[in-house]
Amino acid sequence: MSNEAAAHAGHDHHPTGWRRWLYSTNHKDIGTMYLVLSMVGALLGGLMSFLIRLELQEPGIQFISDFQFYNVLVTGHGFIMVFFVVMPAMIGGFGNWFVPLMIGAPDMAFPRMNNISFWLLAAALVLLLVAALTEGGPGTGWTVYPPLSNATYHPGAGVDFGILSLHLAGASSVLGAINLITTIFNMRAPGMTLHRMPLFVWSILVTAFLLLFAIPVLAGALTMLLTDRNFGTAFFETAGGGDPILWQHLFWFFGHPEVYIIIIPAFGMISQIVSTFSKKPVFGYLGMVYAMVSIGFVGFIVWAHHMYMVGLDVDTRAYFVTATMVIAVPTGIKIFSWLATMWGGSIDFRAPMLFAFGFIWLFVVGGVTGVVLANAGADIAFHDTYFVVAHFHYVMAIAAVFAMFAGFYYWIGKMSGRQYPRALARLHFWTFFIGVNVAFFPQHFSGMAGMPRRIPDYPDAFAGWNYVSSIGSYITFASTLLFFVVVWKTLKSGEKVAGNQWGEGATTLEWTVDSPAPFHTHEDLPDMNPQPAE
Amino acid sequence: MKKPRRKNGITAVLLFSLVGGMVGLAFASVPLYKLFCQVTGFAGTTQTAAATPTVASDKFITIRFDANTIPALPWKFAPAQKEIRVRAGNPAVAYYLAENLSAQSITGTSTYNVTPYKAAEYFAKTECFCFTEQKLAPGETAKLGVEFFVDPEIFNNPNTRDVKTITLSYTFFRAPGDEEGAQPKGQELTSRRQGSYRESEGS
Repeated sequence: MSNEAAAHAGHDHHPTGWRRWLYSTNHKDIGTMYLVLSMVGALLGGLMSFLIRLELQEPGIQFISDFQFYNVLVTGHGFIMVFFVVMPAMIGGFGNWFVPLMIGAPDMAFPRMNNISFWLLAAALVLLLVAALTEGGPGTGWTVYPPLSNATYHPGAGVDFGILSLHLAGASSVLGAINLITTIFNMRAPGMTLHRMPLFVWSILVTAFLLLFAIPVLAGALTMLLTDRNFGTAFFETAGGGDPILWQHLFWFFGHPEVYIIIIPAFGMISQIVSTFSKKPVFGYLGMVYAMVSIGFVGFIVWAHHMYMVGLDVDTRAYFVTATMVIAVPTGIKIFSWLATMWGGSIDFRAPMLFAFGFIWLFVVGGVTGVVLANAGADIAFHDTYFVVAHFHYVMAIAAVFAMFAGFYYWIGKMSGRQYPRALARLHFWTFFIGVNVAFFPQHFSGMAGMPRRIPDYPDAFAGWNYVSSIGSYITFASTLLFFVVVWKTLKSGEKVAGNQWGEGATTLEWTVDSPAPFHTHEDLPDMNPQPAE
Repeated sequence: MKKPRRKNGITAVLLFSLVGGMVGLAFASVPLYKLFCQVTGFAGTTQTAAATPTVASDKFITIRFDANTIPALPWKFAPAQKEIRVRAGNPAVAYYLAENLSAQSITGTSTYNVTPYKAAEYFAKTECFCFTEQKLAPGETAKLGVEFFVDPEIFNNPNTRDVKTITLSYTFFRAPGDEEGAQPKGQELTSRRQGSYRESEGS
């Protein structure tokens, strides 16, 4: 069907040259642009972490004698990785590409809004880089706590540019989320009920709702900070009757859902991939759906576990400890359902599946340390140490990156029509897996020993594990460069792949169209009503 | 074609109003948070009462006094007494002494809390200099009074029964409207920032 459509060149017309991209209203082209933006961001953010590890390789000051610059690196690494790498790749990139394909919709509900979502994000990235280069840049950490971020301690315009950059990125995310929700609610193919939607679509739906509830709170808090800094208000200024702790409440009311915004699309992708390569439908589909929904919900009522140090009273802490530990239940359901999906399956160890395994390992390790950190008593000792850094890199940062790589290898055939080089992809997996574990596992030890985060120097006692950690970081960085070789080789010399390259395990609608997916797909809506049994 | 587009529009309008509502809630959180602190004594926010309770407890509690000023405020500010012992439920008065050491008149405003935080719920002020701004002429000295009582209920709550000492702490700031407000300090930091951060380490 699609073959014929593609053959009628007049029917499949699209703008060419720069117009095709700058003015694009096509969900696949916009998705591709998001993925490219994410790769650019990954190089920038990765380079920053490389510099951080270079400085931390040995005690004393090696390369970065300007400590404000070190702080800017830490801040930039966090912002770029969260807002300009993971979110664009998962929600903007794979979300745009595959939500319409998977639900049988011809495109997104608001194609032009889709275009502005992307270009706002591109502008936000430029603005963030401008911020880093303005008057010392924002050295506030991604949490931007006042008083450090107020006009007294960051008088330069760098923080203001950073705030505006986040405003733009937030507007982009909100528009994108509205587009995705509208598409998923209104444009499903006939018979594609909510309870028949692929789990990746569900994960994007939950994520989009989290964005709508969380981003406006960040926008409000950032606006208050901006007026505190520039127009003499005192939302967070003690002298004027404000309270800096209010910032922490607002920030983490956004910040905790934000980490789920990062990881829930990963859940969706991993479910598709594990199911495809085990050649079994996902175990406990409804359980998986409502696990994601409940993780999203609980994510909004646990924020103060990031602030055990501010002097919450004992009952408040008891509540937040309990609520936080509750998250282990739905996440446990997801882990065990993935394992149960694999159980008895005919598992095919292709690159996407390897990365899915890597994801599950990292997520479990990070989840276990998460339960440790949920305890207010333990957290008072671990707060702001490398134990926390190790925890969140395992559970959401690196785990999300593994899911992104898994998604890339899973869908690159569909997106480009070409097969990735298999051996190189496997090499990429193993070097990356070894690299990140060598980099982050030792940070548990330095953190337990009391090494504080965000400090460029440390006592000699922490030297050993920091050295190991830096070596791991270099392996990871080299592996990332190898990934770009894989991308290049795939696009340049990859062999052509069939519409469904994964065979019987790949049951979702995107595998029913050609590879690469034609410019327009699902113009005749597929009928998803259950067919009478033969 | 018309119908699905309309449906999309309605969905989008609903979702946009959700976003608008959340922005509204973010700003509403400012007064709500203040209210929350006052009601629960969160972070040591003390209670304000119009009258003292009629029944006093026979148990005593020690109140200590602490005073701070931020460096930008050239005032001497200290409690007149280090600590007092009061019967819970009985009103008590304590004094602080403030002196303007500079050559111009300055308006100051103070923030305050008590530790342990959990005692704040039971620490009530009936009269306090901290409720208003204080203006001191050059060299002027002022005796600032605070009238308070400790609610005897503190001994009935198992969570606060162990409190034997409450520390009342004040920090004086320049009032935000004061001519020599926070700006000079900001500029001073700006000029320091132009140099290397390491230079200022020794100071």
